[in-house]
Amino acid sequence: MDQNTIGAGSDVRELRFSFTGKAVEYFGIWIVNLLLSIVTLGIYTAWAKVRRLRYFYGNTWLDGHNFEYHARPIKILLGRVIVVALLIVYNLLVSVSPFFGLLIILYILVFPWLLNKSMAFNARMTSYRNVRLNFRGSYLGALGVFIVMPLATILSLGLLAPVASRLANNYIGRHLGYGMARFDTRAPLGALYANLGATVLFVILVALVCSGLGFVIGTGASTIGGLAEDGEEALLRLISSGPIIGAMVGGYVALTLAYLFYAAGVRNVAFNHTTLDGAHRLSSRVGRFRYVWILVSNLFATLLTLGLLRPWAAVRTWRYLASSTGLQAVGSLDHFVDGAAPEGNVGAAEFFDIEGIDFGL
Amino acid sequence: MIQGRYFPPGSSRAISADLRNTEQGLILHLDRQDDVLQPGMPKVSDPLAGVPRKLTFADGGVFEAPHGADIDGLLRVRGGFFARLAQLEKSLAFVAVAAVAVVGLLFLIYRFGIPLLATGAAAVTPPVVVAAMDRGTLETVDRTVFSPSELDEETQARLRRIFGELSAMVEPAGPQLRLLLREGGVVGANALALPGGTIIVTDDLVKLAETDDEIAGVMAHEIGHVRERHSLKQIYRVLGIGFMIGVIGGDASQLVDDVVTQAAAFQTLVYARGFEADADRFSVALMVRAGRDPTAFVDLLDRIVGTSGGSSETGWLSTHPGTQDRRQAVLEAARGLGWDG
Repeated sequence: MDQNTIGAGSDVRELRFSFTGKAVEYFGIWIVNLLLSIVTLGIYTAWAKVRRLRYFYGNTWLDGHNFEYHARPIKILLGRVIVVALLIVYNLLVSVSPFFGLLIILYILVFPWLLNKSMAFNARMTSYRNVRLNFRGSYLGALGVFIVMPLATILSLGLLAPVASRLANNYIGRHLGYGMARFDTRAPLGALYANLGATVLFVILVALVCSGLGFVIGTGASTIGGLAEDGEEALLRLISSGPIIGAMVGGYVALTLAYLFYAAGVRNVAFNHTTLDGAHRLSSRVGRFRYVWILVSNLFATLLTLGLLRPWAAVRTWRYLASSTGLQAVGSLDHFVDGAAPEGNVGAAEFFDIEGIDFGL
Repeated sequence: MIQGRYFPPGSSRAISADLRNTEQGLILHLDRQDDVLQPGMPKVSDPLAGVPRKLTFADGGVFEAPHGADIDGLLRVRGGFFARLAQLEKSLAFVAVAAVAVVGLLFLIYRFGIPLLATGAAAVTPPVVVAAMDRGTLETVDRTVFSPSELDEETQARLRRIFGELSAMVEPAGPQLRLLLREGGVVGANALALPGGTIIVTDDLVKLAETDDEIAGVMAHEIGHVRERHSLKQIYRVLGIGFMIGVIGGDASQLVDDVVTQAAAFQTLVYARGFEADADRFSVALMVRAGRDPTAFVDLLDRIVGTSGGSSETGWLSTHPGTQDRRQAVLEAARGLGWDG
């Protein structure tokens, strides 16, 4: 399940994460989850989520021990009901009067708190060897890292992205704990800027390929469309807009791929500079091209099979990420002790889940 | 007896152990230590493929059984709902049936369930809410795109008379109808209906109309949208589809999510086209009753498509059926009602 090789020091061990889940096995779990979720008009989704995460965590191994997910479905359901109700009320208010759009300011102010509570909940629900993770955030820290820095990144046209990545990962790493032991992340700026440089080259490559493809497809489609419409004016108009739309779609695709490429690089840098309890070191060597390729081919496989290959795709991604992650352990891992820690808030966690906002790879 | 590992409360230390169920209760035996009687029934994690089951004792200590160990047999309990579910998840026959059932159910919900629910929800939405939505939307569009109408008094009065005549002929049930004239700005020649009965006609559209019947036909079309609650139904259908995607896409990756959301947005255009055809039929019936030419407004639509380039064109082309098909459908509907113009 994991490979233990004795490292340089007498009791330094290079441990690798591994995932033993199988696509066929997960397909059964996934389809039953789906069926029960539909039949119960969505109520079962809370149980489905717990079962899905228990499967993925439970089949992830390190040093002969597996991870575990502990959330109680009824609490997840409660969180979801609260979040959905709030979203409905917000949308109703906005459609009644645009004035309520100002609630966005309140949202921005609450966002750091929500994020901390969400990460605390998700950490608290995760355990390894009978000891749980925990997260103790600070409001001002999260405000700076997750509100101010993204804004600065946009204003600097992405030039500050490595600084934002460094601060975000350091923030998460330093506030994360395993029982009484603390993690510490010190992502170096140089490596992050090198990653940005590689991403820029990647974007140029992909943009050339995608917009070229988009141009050809756009021109072709608009020609066919124009001819079918049987009007010279329409033909002219569409010929002139088809390639532009094609190139725009291509550019959008390039940016999405670039984000994936960049995020994989950041993960490597952050993990490789994270320690636990001042001694054990995390490691990550995700291939950036490989990661983008896995996600893109997963997308096509999923769409072309109308979703039926989704379980295979999910297992494939998880297995790759697990196998690319390691821990350089100094001595045994049996001295960790659990302690009291913030429980977090299930509503906050479900808010980010429902909104599809996901931090970390 | 089951052999496994034991973790002391709150500790990551794994100790080889075995667990026996005797007449006194559960007895935990740790390597090189005395037996310990564990009082009460431990909490047991649900069975799941590949995952070792864990028993948490009253003091927080955890016994981990190897995957596949017969915990339920040891504890002499019947496996619960999830034990049976774990069996079903492994059965290829059941999984195949479930897959077919999921696909079938999703199709039924999408094709019939959501439209039906949307119609029901639209019918029970309180008029107060609908009126408030009208006020909000009007406030927004007035501030952003529209300005007061620049049509002369006489034309405005004539338009109001036509509108009054038409609205007097529809059943009074539903929201109060009212006509607003606006200079459309970037919207150009257009007409829109808000759910609460507010119908807005832009100056450009009026100028483009060559006969009263043309503009009356468009007004009748918009009245159709209001009376058949199309905007509300559209809102609820979009909500319904969003909810459906949320339920089925629980574990979808960000990429899949993005693509599906785009597809759903595209789908609402298909719904919109259905509503347009309904409103056309409503317009034809109302115009025939009013003794006006029910096909005239299609000429006006042709002219809009002809004159508008750029952005307004895509709106018309994509949310509304093509004018050729439309003319055909309108003619057929009019003839069906005995119109012979």
